[in-house]
Amino acid sequence: MHLSRREFVTWVGASGIMLAMTRLPSAQAGRFDETQTLPGTAGPRPAHGSTRRIDAVAKVTGAKLYASDFRAADMDGWPPTTAHALLIRATDAAHVFAGLDLSALDAGAQPTKIVTAEDLARAGTRVPPFYAGDFLCPVGKTPLYLGQPVALLLFETFDAYDRARVLLRQTSPIKLGAETGPLAQPNYAALRFTRVAGDAPGAPDVYSPLMEGWISPGFLEAGGRPVWRPLPTPEGGQYKKGATYGEEIRAFITAKDPGTLVLDRSFRTQSVDPMFLEPECGLAWYDPKAKALQLVIGVQSPLGASEALGHLLGEAAPALRPERIETHFAHLGGGFGGRDHTPFPLYVALAAMFLPGRPIRLAHDRFQQFQGGIKRHAFEMRSQVAFDRATGRMRAFAADHILDGGGLANYSASVAAVSATSAIGIYDIPKVDVTTLAEHSRGVTAGSMRGYGVLQTTAALETLVDEAAEAIGLDPITLRRRNLLKAGGLTMTGNPWTVSVRTPEILDKLEDHALWRDRAQAQKAASAGTLVGTGLAVCAKDYGTGADCALGRVEVDPTGRIRIFRDAVEMGNGIGTAVANRVAQFLGRMADEVSVARIDAFEALGLVTSGDPYAITQEEQDTASRNPRWVPAVSSPTSASIGAHVGTQAAAEAARIILRFGMWPAALALWGIDQNDPRHFLWDEAFWQDGMLILSGLPPLAQEEVAAKAHAMGALTGAMAHAFSRWAWAQAAFPLDGLEWAADIDALAVRRGERPFKVLDRSFIAFPPATYNRIGTSFTSSCGTLVRVEVDKASGAVRVTRAYSVLECGQVLSPHVVLGQTQGGFAHGCRLRASGELAAIRGRSGQRALEPRRLCGRARLRSADPRLGG
Amino acid sequence: MPAISLSINGRAYGPIEVREDLTMNDFLREVLGMTGTKFGCGAAQCLSCAVIVDHADGTSSTMPTCIVAATEFDKLKVRTVEGHAKNGELTPLQKSFVAHFAFQCGYCTPGFLNEAQVLLERLEKTPIARAELEATIVEALDGHLCRCSGYVKYHQAVRDVVLADAHRFLT
Repeated sequence: MHLSRREFVTWVGASGIMLAMTRLPSAQAGRFDETQTLPGTAGPRPAHGSTRRIDAVAKVTGAKLYASDFRAADMDGWPPTTAHALLIRATDAAHVFAGLDLSALDAGAQPTKIVTAEDLARAGTRVPPFYAGDFLCPVGKTPLYLGQPVALLLFETFDAYDRARVLLRQTSPIKLGAETGPLAQPNYAALRFTRVAGDAPGAPDVYSPLMEGWISPGFLEAGGRPVWRPLPTPEGGQYKKGATYGEEIRAFITAKDPGTLVLDRSFRTQSVDPMFLEPECGLAWYDPKAKALQLVIGVQSPLGASEALGHLLGEAAPALRPERIETHFAHLGGGFGGRDHTPFPLYVALAAMFLPGRPIRLAHDRFQQFQGGIKRHAFEMRSQVAFDRATGRMRAFAADHILDGGGLANYSASVAAVSATSAIGIYDIPKVDVTTLAEHSRGVTAGSMRGYGVLQTTAALETLVDEAAEAIGLDPITLRRRNLLKAGGLTMTGNPWTVSVRTPEILDKLEDHALWRDRAQAQKAASAGTLVGTGLAVCAKDYGTGADCALGRVEVDPTGRIRIFRDAVEMGNGIGTAVANRVAQFLGRMADEVSVARIDAFEALGLVTSGDPYAITQEEQDTASRNPRWVPAVSSPTSASIGAHVGTQAAAEAARIILRFGMWPAALALWGIDQNDPRHFLWDEAFWQDGMLILSGLPPLAQEEVAAKAHAMGALTGAMAHAFSRWAWAQAAFPLDGLEWAADIDALAVRRGERPFKVLDRSFIAFPPATYNRIGTSFTSSCGTLVRVEVDKASGAVRVTRAYSVLECGQVLSPHVVLGQTQGGFAHGCRLRASGELAAIRGRSGQRALEPRRLCGRARLRSADPRLGG
Repeated sequence: MPAISLSINGRAYGPIEVREDLTMNDFLREVLGMTGTKFGCGAAQCLSCAVIVDHADGTSSTMPTCIVAATEFDKLKVRTVEGHAKNGELTPLQKSFVAHFAFQCGYCTPGFLNEAQVLLERLEKTPIARAELEATIVEALDGHLCRCSGYVKYHQAVRDVVLADAHRFLT
């Protein structure tokens, strides 16, 4: 789909639908854009450290922020009353769906309308390409998965809806036909990642995905699973080459060399609900007179959701085809990946289209969220690792991953790739072979969720490392240190990490901590009925997806007030606060207003895009980039932990440009420095302190004074930019005030004084090479944690008594947010172990049988001591 | 249908007819439009839905609203997250939550705020020793789920309110 921001507001594409995206105003206190502000001049200066969250006051006063808070009466211009919709989901995916029986509902609980698959077919709705499968299961077919919607019930009143909701949970309305067994569907993805390092340190790889590309087997067994072996046939080509190396690695591991310790273990993890506290919900109203559909939703992927809505209704029958879709985006009550490309908004839209003229709300309760919300993939893993007994060095690693992708296509292929390419964690292993298979199942759809597959594979790997340390007789930290991937070393896809690699320091900190030093003493001191143990693990988690972008717009008014627009969504991760901090470094004060989820604020850039940024060829990219408005992608979901690094980039570069071409010329004028003065060029030596612009030897200038002068001079006072990262920034140059301004952005528009924004053609552009799409992980952050646990011998109760965690978090934009994320991560780790399962299956131990979607337990963090790396 | 009358944040509501099985959460959110009180788990497990009930004996406690019928709140005095700040002025507890970045997505905040407020009011009437403070806060906030920030900052925010006015809350 070719789509641009300009097209997005004014665009009438093949569907003929005009799409618009806006930030949802608060219903209680005026426009939210105006209320979600930072302290401004009354608040602390950036040089003085942290400030408040931009959304803090709203959140402690109960303001309407979340999609679940809005009803029709809260929306300007909407009819005042709200109807309600209920999704009926399949509870059996092994029998034919034979229709609905709503006899359990009395007259007061009957729906006004029932929407079925047949209705959708008659209406001509289309399932967006990202998803594969019927949105509503047709009568006569077996549901694709447990939880697949079979019908949408629409109710005029809340009471009718609420009673039906409860009654239908007690008495299923689904009629079943013949038993078919679960439906078989093609796999979502099957990939193999193999790397053979050169013989000597620093020697080129013999084989790697970066050299040869990602490979997938071309043959399937009768059961539908791939044939991973290279077949003795002429066919196979690229796959055959990689697989041959892979099989050699496996033969090496199983060669029974007495000098080699081989561990061969299997692991399993379960499907997990993200359990964001706000269940998915949405509000929509289709005005048939205006042929306009409006929605209020909360998602991590505004652009993706709007694209999907346009596709859904683009070729619908005239009565069900809006001419305009306007989507309002609200804050999220948690996301954790589970709201990234969720199909839920599409059902909200369908509810409105089938009850025209009536605002209608579709909201999951928790039961329904468990039934139908996107889940973390369940994994089955077999891992084989070979250690040199003499040195402790890892010589080879092989693994086979099978992911349960559930019933509807989502991010399974991507999770499979990320988990595989992260399977060797923080280690440098010369021979690696990992197969990964994402399968369709009748389980609930799995997609993006915290950890994105790395949590599963890392936990398995660290378990193996601990077991190896014991078998070889090495201290667990020593064994890890001997195997660390060092700066410049190559990951299993054959590329280096391009960020700081501080795992050695993390291990140093763990080793030096009293919790580790005193572990033997603590064990000896345990009471008779208690076992005491101290353990550690270190992980590396990637951030970014390999095709990430950001939009940022910054404006300074004549009084020095700063306004920032971003396309990202605020789901609690402090993204607005982080961007305000970066902008403040260049413009001398915290923003007075930060407005998020505002793709509509970047029309002036006139961006266009085409192709798939993950799969584009170099030739295609070179051709497309001749258009100065072309970028590989317009807007990214707020996901993959890109909020700080990628998410703030465009706004930060926009602020730098305002400093250089707006505030700096104004300051020069105020200082009386002309262009013949050598200080004329020292803009990057000036700095802000307590709201004053300082250059050595000159009187400090108040930020407000400089801003006023910039406006009076007609200098540059606003900039909007787009940044793109494919494991490296796109770099471009733009003509500005007689200079060629080069920056890590690929699109730029500026304004002078109060005049409108004007887009600039780039005079130079270098997008990261298309071959970078072969990289698995390049941006990564590491974390190491020590935990001491006490186990009550009688009851088996486990208590975490102390913990120490070290996170390498780079440049900290908002320390409080990072600390909170660290503490939250620790709490989640404890919960995962307490309520989840990740156990080696070795016959004797098996795995714990725990409730698969149990609500995570309440954490009592008494003495967790997370520390931040700098 | 029964009718209920109650006080919410000092304002009288009712009599209002409600279904017997209508939850207090739906009464607040759907009938009154007061959406500050959240719906989370629907099983009284996360307590994002908890409100404060002021009892006749002068004590207060929190009650979940997601599984409790609105009729159970008939004649009661209730406080919700919308009622803490007065004339735009945040309470010390709200200010402390803000200062500590206690929350991220903030969906659990109303429940934590109500629970901690009840604790502060209890401590004001029955001060405790400094040595008991940490355990008392843990005990009070236990049961409230936060899926983002890991509880520590909530705990610290409450502790700092107490310590900032120690003579009021501690023996």
